[in-house]
Amino acid sequence: MTSPVISLRDITKSYGQGAARASVLRGVSLDIAPGELVALVGQSGSGKSTLLNIIGGLDKADGGDVNVLGHDYRRTSEQALARLRNTSIGFVFQAFNLLDHLTCLQNVTLPSQFSAAGKDVDTRGREALDRVGLAAFAGRRPSELSGGQKQRVAIARALFGAPKLLLCDEPTGNLDSATGAEVIEFFQKLNRDDGVTLVIVTHERRVSNIAQRVVAMRDGAIVEGAGTNEHTAGAGDDLGGPA
Amino acid sequence: MMPTGKLARMVVANATRSPKHFILSAFGIVIGIGAFVFFMAGTIGVSDVLLGKVFPLDQVEVIAPHTSIAGKNLSQKLTADTVATIKARPEVKEALPRMTLQFPAVGFGKFEGQEIRFEVGGFTDGIPDVHVADDPKLVDVFKDWGADPANDGPACVPGTPNACPDKAWQYCDGYDKVCRKRVPVIISPTVLELYNSQVADSHGLPHIGVMEQFIAERGRERMHFYMGLGSTMMAGSNVTIDPAKHREVGAILVGVSDKARRVGLTIPIGYVERWNRTFVGDTAASEYSSIIVTLRHKDQLAPFAQWLADGPKLKLEDQLGSSFATVIYVIRLVLLIIAFIIVMISAINIAHNFFMQVSERRREIGVLRAVGATQGDVMAIVLGESAIIGVVSGVIGCVLAWLASLVIDWILAHWVGEFPFKPTTLFNFEVWIAPSAIGLSIFFCVLGGLLPARRAAKLEPAAALAQN
Repeated sequence: MTSPVISLRDITKSYGQGAARASVLRGVSLDIAPGELVALVGQSGSGKSTLLNIIGGLDKADGGDVNVLGHDYRRTSEQALARLRNTSIGFVFQAFNLLDHLTCLQNVTLPSQFSAAGKDVDTRGREALDRVGLAAFAGRRPSELSGGQKQRVAIARALFGAPKLLLCDEPTGNLDSATGAEVIEFFQKLNRDDGVTLVIVTHERRVSNIAQRVVAMRDGAIVEGAGTNEHTAGAGDDLGGPA
Repeated sequence: MMPTGKLARMVVANATRSPKHFILSAFGIVIGIGAFVFFMAGTIGVSDVLLGKVFPLDQVEVIAPHTSIAGKNLSQKLTADTVATIKARPEVKEALPRMTLQFPAVGFGKFEGQEIRFEVGGFTDGIPDVHVADDPKLVDVFKDWGADPANDGPACVPGTPNACPDKAWQYCDGYDKVCRKRVPVIISPTVLELYNSQVADSHGLPHIGVMEQFIAERGRERMHFYMGLGSTMMAGSNVTIDPAKHREVGAILVGVSDKARRVGLTIPIGYVERWNRTFVGDTAASEYSSIIVTLRHKDQLAPFAQWLADGPKLKLEDQLGSSFATVIYVIRLVLLIIAFIIVMISAINIAHNFFMQVSERRREIGVLRAVGATQGDVMAIVLGESAIIGVVSGVIGCVLAWLASLVIDWILAHWVGEFPFKPTTLFNFEVWIAPSAIGLSIFFCVLGGLLPARRAAKLEPAAALAQN
């Protein structure tokens, strides 16, 4: 078996202090193999987004081991973690998180601001926009785009650095069903053609349906689908709802 | 870390994308830095006028403190040895003995058709002619012509028109009945300024700009006057001079020099020595009234004054200059403190604005972190934005201060009446002021941005992205 892209062991995470302390993750362990497309499902507050943020290095686990793309987060400096996000991990958020004062192209090439990227930045940015079908929108501001177009720009930004791992948090949550279907189809194609590993937090059955594995969470623990390459497309039927 | 060029471009783009925030942050700093530059240039400018022209601090007058016991005068004597001792001091560039005319004398003559008469005794100093040797306009004329009889001209009959061949420089001495060179007299810029601002207008006399030009235009003869030695205009003078000694000597105003006594006349010291010996006695001809000391630098005044008190037990006569220097220093300090307070309050305002901005831009910061920005990058971006505000505010503050100085100078020139030593400008924008002001502006802006930058850098990306 190939070594996993993501390896989580006994991850714990709490928020708050004293009596208000709430345990969000309770000893989560999970392995994800290279090229997998995993859907992370569960009810609101089950810890899906927190787990995704910990995998992406956007949040820190209180306990346990996180190993992503060969980086043991406990031994990885803040700078190295930033570099990992810059070069190897792409994020797609439900709220798109585009910067309104930048053009679409500038949003897409934003990661290049934090690396010594070469002169072909704009070319690569346009290529990324072209992949999501928005080459003609390079000079527009996000405020001029529809929700679906915004999400495609956000996907283009996530793909700009040719990441090995794409982490998506409710990517279709703010989209109508037709646009959401296009996005899902794009993810499937990306996974199939480019071998990008995808972890998608979702409550949409359509996403679960295309996933090679569905990991279901409840109350901060994985209740189904923790094993590698275990096809559990029907899992989480009773776990839907907002993430 | 973020490449510097990209950081600079991002910082400039961020700083300029919200004019409202920029103006809110920059306003106070602009006022503070403007005040700093305005006050600094103003106090330096005023100081230049007061301490450079009115009370030149690098030139001080040393006197012996008056001491007497049971009516006996025990004061130190200022002699040639005292001058030599002072001259040997490392902080002293030049020591210039002065001897005051110690008996009554009056000056009289005609100036621009008007009879003039003024007290000379006690208001006339003698200085060695070598001390004006560095002035090409005076070096050939300010001499003790009376020391050598060879300078005398032919015999003459007093009261006869054109009694002497050299009308410009000679007069017929009524005592010896011989043509003599007129006593050369110099005055200080202060006297000239007082004449121009106080006397000329009220007496319908012409203003004198450059003295040499005035002399050239009107002729040397217009500068003639006489000194009545032994006479006085003062009622009740208790100095008794043998009437047989009374005599009149011709004098000629030859120029203006800052070596001349501030108020009064200055002539070559040889005349004063001889006249003091004749009219008062030998002691009066060997003791100096003061020693004018030119320091190598104004800052050396304090150690020199201390040495005077500790060593030869002498003191500085005119403390007005140093008093003004102290007053100006204190005023400058107070004004700069005010400017600093404004700038510091502005820095707090900047901190407040940046805290607000960091709060408003949490999601943006989260996005930057998600795409690869380190904590250091985020901190550098926020600090860079505050530094940009510092640069722009500093430049605007300097420009505003300069414009304000132009307005003040215009008001001074057009609305304020003439007064002694009235300058053309009250400001001196020395070259270091603007760079210092801009540096100060950047420093305080970065200081103001420091805590918000730290907060921005410490934001957990996940928490920042979770903002609604």
